[in-house]
Amino acid sequence: MLHLQPHNLLIQKTLTEAIEAVNNGTPLTLDRIVSDFDYTTFHISNSDEEKSTLLLSVKTKAWASVVNCGDLLSYLQSSFTKFNGIEIPSNFENGYNYTLALDLKQLDQESVVQASLLKTMIMSFPFNLSFEEFNKLSSQPAPTTEYELNNINNNAPVFKIEYRDDENIFIKPSFDRITVIFETIFQDETDKILGKVFLQEFVDARKRNRGIQSAPQVLFSHEPPLELRNLSEYSNYTDISSSKRFITFVLFPRHFANDELKFKSVVQLTLFRSYFHYHIKCSKAYLHSRMRYRVDTFVKVLNRAKVDEEEDSKDADSEQHVRRTITGRKVVY
Amino acid sequence: MSQSLRPYLTAVRYSLEAALTLSNFSSQEVERHNRPEVEVSNSSAELLLQPMHISRNENEQVLIETSVNSIRVNIMVKQSDEIEQILVHKFTRFLEQRAEAFYILRRTPIKGYSISFLITNKHTESMKTDKLVDFIIEFMEEVDKEISEMKLFLNARARFVAEAYLGEFVY
Repeated sequence: MLHLQPHNLLIQKTLTEAIEAVNNGTPLTLDRIVSDFDYTTFHISNSDEEKSTLLLSVKTKAWASVVNCGDLLSYLQSSFTKFNGIEIPSNFENGYNYTLALDLKQLDQESVVQASLLKTMIMSFPFNLSFEEFNKLSSQPAPTTEYELNNINNNAPVFKIEYRDDENIFIKPSFDRITVIFETIFQDETDKILGKVFLQEFVDARKRNRGIQSAPQVLFSHEPPLELRNLSEYSNYTDISSSKRFITFVLFPRHFANDELKFKSVVQLTLFRSYFHYHIKCSKAYLHSRMRYRVDTFVKVLNRAKVDEEEDSKDADSEQHVRRTITGRKVVY
Repeated sequence: MSQSLRPYLTAVRYSLEAALTLSNFSSQEVERHNRPEVEVSNSSAELLLQPMHISRNENEQVLIETSVNSIRVNIMVKQSDEIEQILVHKFTRFLEQRAEAFYILRRTPIKGYSISFLITNKHTESMKTDKLVDFIIEFMEEVDKEISEMKLFLNARARFVAEAYLGEFVY
């Protein structure tokens, strides 16, 4: 499993089961909590009035910051209601950020996939805003002087997704590119150093492999990149000793030329942190199993040194009759 | 095998063979105790022999501390950068946690070294001395090999993962 999937498999499976049960005339009674990366939980339950309607609610850490970026609710409404069987209830489930009402009789395969992408859709909202902002900026005449360039860069909004406790995603559109900056924190020293190896490869991969030269440029640093210096929290950031790293992806217009590419890029970017940390953990697991194997071979070598008594007695057996008394003493006759 | 590794290992082998002449020796200070004299701080200097220090370079050294009934072999494994440091630390810790399977492995290394072995007269009585020496020499060879292989694997994996991720952006 090299790539992580953007849709939630468990939601898909639950919905498919539920649809099948409704079609068989025996609707399921569901009350299921499904979790996902980055402190996201889903709740799938039957609606109070109608057995064949399911409520899919989501609670995610990123919600509060994404709502601040703009009109999230109408964005979600417009992206979900175009699919069969998905409707937005007038009020959301208590304790959750957002709810979809799914009519199991009308739901088709496409809608099931879309419903399982709920978290990705929420995270993609600030990305879409920055695509719009990019279109606005790029349609203006390109800046010719440094003053105009600075003006654009200072005035462009920075969208911030607070998707984990202390790690954020920043998206900054400009007139010729969109910069996506990830913060990440390593929990222990080993991860930090393994992470350094991995990040270095992300930076170098594009230079080395000609096949992926059109991929976004990747940079990483210990201090906040220039794009973030205007933000109040980073204006005088001096804590370079902490384990926080900044990873910058520079998206060029070819990465979001049409809606399909936009969606693919956004999906990949939202999964970046999970992907990155997942592979660090995987390498650690592999090294562990490798060490286990190596220990076994060392033990084998050491066991060669042992004077094996059984072997001695076997040799003796072939020549002479040997019997043991009850105390283990050998009797040779 | 590189030019300087062979003489280094040969020197360690001969030093170990010379040091592994152990005899049973009861404690002079505590009655009915029979303890590895190299491990206890004792006042009787005649029980401790001259330690042997074999050094290939500043990162790869072996210190053999000898006494009348036990020797302690301390190995410093090459650590040229922080990745190797981590790998060596993890690997030696992994071995030390399984010290009972290794009989002669010490659970903590001596300060300044990566891993320590303690061989007492009990061990030389129940095991063949030349095979014990073989084990330590083979261990030294294999550890270096293992660490560099793990490092290569890590880099290769990182490269593959990065290229696979960025490859998704190529249209």
